[in-house]
Amino acid sequence: VSYQVEILDWKTKEQLCFLDKVEPNATIREIRLMFHKLYPRWYPARQSIKLDPKGKSLRDEEILQHLPVGTTATLYFKDLGPQIGWTTVFLIEYTGPLFIYFLFYFRMPFVYGLDERFTSSPHPVVNLACICHSFHYIKRLIETIFVHRFSHGTMPLRNIVKNCLYYWGFAAWLAYYINHPLYTPPSYGKKQINFAVIMFLLCEAGNFSIHVALSDLRRDGSKTRKIPYPTKNPFTWLFFFVSCPNYTYEVGTWISFTIMTQCVPVGLFTLLCFIQMTIWAKDKHYTYLREFKDYPSLRMPIIPFLL
Amino acid sequence: LQNPDIAITDNVLHFRAQGHGAKGDNIYEFQIEFLEPVEPKPVCRVTQRQLNITVQKKESNWWERLTKQEKRPLFLAPDFDRWLDESDAEMELKEKEEEKINKMKIESRVPKDPFKHLKKGYLIMYNLVQFLGFSWIFVNMTVRLFILGKDSFYDTFHTIADMMYFCQTLALMEVLNSLIGLVRSPLIPAVIQVLGRNFILFVILGSLEEMQSKAVVFFVFYFWSIIELFRYPYYMLSCIGIEWKPLTWLRYTSWIPLYPLGGLAEAVCLIQSIPIFSETGKFSLGLPNPLNVTIPFSFLLQIYLIALFLGIFVNFRYLYKQRKQHLGPKKRKMK
Repeated sequence: VSYQVEILDWKTKEQLCFLDKVEPNATIREIRLMFHKLYPRWYPARQSIKLDPKGKSLRDEEILQHLPVGTTATLYFKDLGPQIGWTTVFLIEYTGPLFIYFLFYFRMPFVYGLDERFTSSPHPVVNLACICHSFHYIKRLIETIFVHRFSHGTMPLRNIVKNCLYYWGFAAWLAYYINHPLYTPPSYGKKQINFAVIMFLLCEAGNFSIHVALSDLRRDGSKTRKIPYPTKNPFTWLFFFVSCPNYTYEVGTWISFTIMTQCVPVGLFTLLCFIQMTIWAKDKHYTYLREFKDYPSLRMPIIPFLL
Repeated sequence: LQNPDIAITDNVLHFRAQGHGAKGDNIYEFQIEFLEPVEPKPVCRVTQRQLNITVQKKESNWWERLTKQEKRPLFLAPDFDRWLDESDAEMELKEKEEEKINKMKIESRVPKDPFKHLKKGYLIMYNLVQFLGFSWIFVNMTVRLFILGKDSFYDTFHTIADMMYFCQTLALMEVLNSLIGLVRSPLIPAVIQVLGRNFILFVILGSLEEMQSKAVVFFVFYFWSIIELFRYPYYMLSCIGIEWKPLTWLRYTSWIPLYPLGGLAEAVCLIQSIPIFSETGKFSLGLPNPLNVTIPFSFLLQIYLIALFLGIFVNFRYLYKQRKQHLGPKKRKMK
């Protein structure tokens, strides 16, 4: 028996399309493709198909006959707006700060004035900071290309403007002060810098380990969520205590960078990162708790035992 | 109906009277024995056509029937206009109990205050002192305006500032009064007003010589003092418990033009001061410093300017709400 599918606009409820003779085992993905054929400007990533006008969007893998619909199914469509792939977004977001920092490090003439153009700082910590900052963003770019597996393919286009403003703007602001001719190195000198470098390297290694571990959970190409567990890698042992150790390590990286440069704008950026990541970690943590009855109870979202 | 003889003994109502009826003058009497104990004193009210006898139950509860005997006397019929069935009776009881509980609650919430007179005295003194201070400022400025005209604008600060410093420093007490609950008005509008004004007075005007000889100072001080000329006397009188209606109206209406004008004058002050702070770098953190950041005070002032308009807006809404509370219902009565 074949199904009939009608798709209505979620707000106006007008019928946008009527699909005849749909296979019962058709997936939402196939329905999206059929809809796209009728409306070329609404490519599948832009389509939110739902059972209820105010409900959640159906996933691509859902099968028509398993949904709570009769043989004539009514689905609702919402336009999510122009979409952009996560990989694309990350690449743009992370390349910006990398090169913007260099503009300040090499002291382009329009930054500190003609007198200071292309000069270099007498403080070794400034060179170190440039290496660390660049290393951080290059690592992120490599992870985006080779490591991350995204569960959602796309995000709305306007997000990229917001995100880029944030990352690029802050990179410029903190690079300005670190590479400034009147920069003051850390008050506790070499001790402070060495401590910061070691903390930085440990956190970067930790962050990378977690990303690899998370990526391995989806090695088979599936898009379902699984509980991450500690592996043989000691850095992943943070999973015993925390749901999102990648965020924990990330905050650690930025704290170490703040200590290394002793710069208030860096500290402010660290604080904002911490707030944002705590929100994401809590979200993820509660999603895990809801989905898995046997989720380890010792784990906190982002800081062991505390938060 | 004449000579009614009504009494209750041992829960029995005895009635005896002389009446003029269809069959001429006769003596009428009856007796009713009540189901449960009743109060021995009935309340009687005589009208032309009837006699009302109200008998109270000793215990307020539902009676299955009126009389002790099982059969209802033939002459007895319920008055359904005043009939309360079981649920109504229960509701009546419940309401009465609730009223009792509420009364007890209200009485217990208001403790007797041994310091009441001391507090009142302090508040009256405070409002009086402020009123005198601002009157001096207002009169002084007005007189100088008449004598010197526009020229009085430019050295307003030098003549008035000391008194204004005094009054505005004293105004911090208003925040304290609200904080410790001495005064019923809410804390936040008081804080916004006192801190906002003192910021302009001490930081913007007080610390910059250049600002002190600007004309805008005259307007800032003038608007501040006019508003206070109405506010403090109103508070003084309300402490004593007197209300002078014209003053109330003035106090709750004069702010409508004066508050925005005052805010505007303060904004002009800020805008004029920003270039001076930029040039001199006063209160700004510049490089090099161990925090490796620059905090230009002029930038903070620009943020403050936005906050100023927001604060005025918030206070405006609060004052408008207050106005409706104090003046609103009366307006309806006048119509």
